Amino acid sequence: MMKPIALAVVLGLAALAVPYFGTEYALSFTMQLLVFMILAYSWNLIGGYTGYTHFGQVCFFGLGGYVGALLIQNAGMRWYFAVPVAALAGAALALPLGTAMLRLKGPYFAIGMFGLTRVLESLVLGFDSVTKGGTGLYLVPLDNLRPVYYALVGLAIVMIVGTWRLDNSRLGLKLLAIREDEQAADSLGVRTTRLKIGTFVVSAIAPAAVGALNAVYLGFIDPPTAFSPVMELTTIAIVLLGGMGTVLGPLVGAIVLSVVNELLWARFPEYYLAIVGTLLLLAVLYMPRGIVNLGMKRGWLPAGRSLFRQLAREGGRGRPPVAAPLVPDEAKRAEA
Amino acid sequence: MNAPEHILVAENVSKRFEGRVALDNASLKVRRGSITGVIGPNGSGKSTLFNIIAGTLTPNGGRVLIEGEDVTGASPADICRRGVGRTFQISRLFAEMTVMENLVAVAHGIDDRTAVQRAMELLEFLEITAIADKWGSELSYGQRKLVEIARALMLKPVIMLLDEPFAGINPRLQNRIVEHLKSLCARGLTVFFIDHEMRIVLAECDQVYVLAEGSVIASGPPALVRDDPRVLDAYF
Repeated sequence: MMKPIALAVVLGLAALAVPYFGTEYALSFTMQLLVFMILAYSWNLIGGYTGYTHFGQVCFFGLGGYVGALLIQNAGMRWYFAVPVAALAGAALALPLGTAMLRLKGPYFAIGMFGLTRVLESLVLGFDSVTKGGTGLYLVPLDNLRPVYYALVGLAIVMIVGTWRLDNSRLGLKLLAIREDEQAADSLGVRTTRLKIGTFVVSAIAPAAVGALNAVYLGFIDPPTAFSPVMELTTIAIVLLGGMGTVLGPLVGAIVLSVVNELLWARFPEYYLAIVGTLLLLAVLYMPRGIVNLGMKRGWLPAGRSLFRQLAREGGRGRPPVAAPLVPDEAKRAEA
Repeated sequence: MNAPEHILVAENVSKRFEGRVALDNASLKVRRGSITGVIGPNGSGKSTLFNIIAGTLTPNGGRVLIEGEDVTGASPADICRRGVGRTFQISRLFAEMTVMENLVAVAHGIDDRTAVQRAMELLEFLEITAIADKWGSELSYGQRKLVEIARALMLKPVIMLLDEPFAGINPRLQNRIVEHLKSLCARGLTVFFIDHEMRIVLAECDQVYVLAEGSVIASGPPALVRDDPRVLDAYF
């Protein structure tokens, strides 16, 4: 238990130190890494835990980006007010969208979300009187980008800690139950509809906030970058590579993929995408459950969802019964 | 108001699948605290009736009452929360979760510690504590049946619906499950199940319903049903 905490502290300190000690390149690399990490953690909630994989995460990223940029440019709002509003806009879109779309399952939901993202992109392109269409919106650059960077670090930490809490909660188990067998979960009293819509809404908040932060950081937003399919696929690849439905999966996946990307991009600018693609293919073939799941199975990483095992061990050490047993006589007989 | 004598009642339940009649005015009553079984040949409508009671299918006609309240067309989750626990014919454990997690996941209205405690007690009761940390996907067929029963008991149901609990398991385990069900019954749980296993149905049930071609052709205590010419005709 101490090792992961120590590792987290080191990573956190490193992230905090980058703007002071790192080069410009290190800063922009870490920014990208954080953006992908937050997107991946959000997608992991609905795709990894609840099992509703989909290709529409950038729909919220793009929406947040535009809401944030427009509020800053047209309403003169400060970025640190615009970003939370953008996050709320993400949730506000996700609620009706989830209610309608989560009736679909499997590939229908996945592709449906992809389609909706394209619809949103077209709307942004079409309403060019507001969004400036394909030309994109330019924002007045900030003098100091450090606060934006720290906002991203903070958001990433919230996502990691939040996922860790979820992983050790009954709510997390219920989401996994939906992933494993939604009908059975429903028959056993799990409120499946409510839970999956709720998860979907929560999974839209951080991407919308990141979309706005990214627009502020770059000082620019246009439809192809705001609703980028490449960004979508990279996010999903990160979670697949790291491990779906795990606490550390998106973190490990984001770091590994970003480092590999950078190393290859610098050395083999022409072929790097082909190499990354091949590596991902090999990873999915030989580690279908991702790096973290493999690590937990081999004992390199502590097993997930430790809370319940711990509670069971405590219960087994002769703690006084908390609740009246369902079948007291049998329980006593078994103990004897 | 006193609790009704019959905890589960199906009244004139009918179900058609694309014109084919699966259930035709089937009625049954399950007395509180009893072990009630439904038998019938393949295609007689047992599973359809079971799924209508559990809420996974909606009937075309008739109604289902649980504790005297009409639950026809209610969702499976709502029916479950009225105190109905169920198991599945083909195991539907959550494969990528441990046995303990399978149990704890469905608990509601209690805190984590109590949920784990209850799960441990149920595993002890069913004598499967040793597999608490095994993955759902690792278990044998018989172990799955036991874990499914434990999982349904997590909800402290007043009635258990068991979908072919004895199919495909060895007689020793069948007897073990029967013993467990009987001791639960002695504490007020009502057990309702469908199965092919004539031996157990006739030996252990208080009340038996025989389905054939979507209709109840006989019902009553096993001794009576056994010698009913209509049952012999349908089965042999």
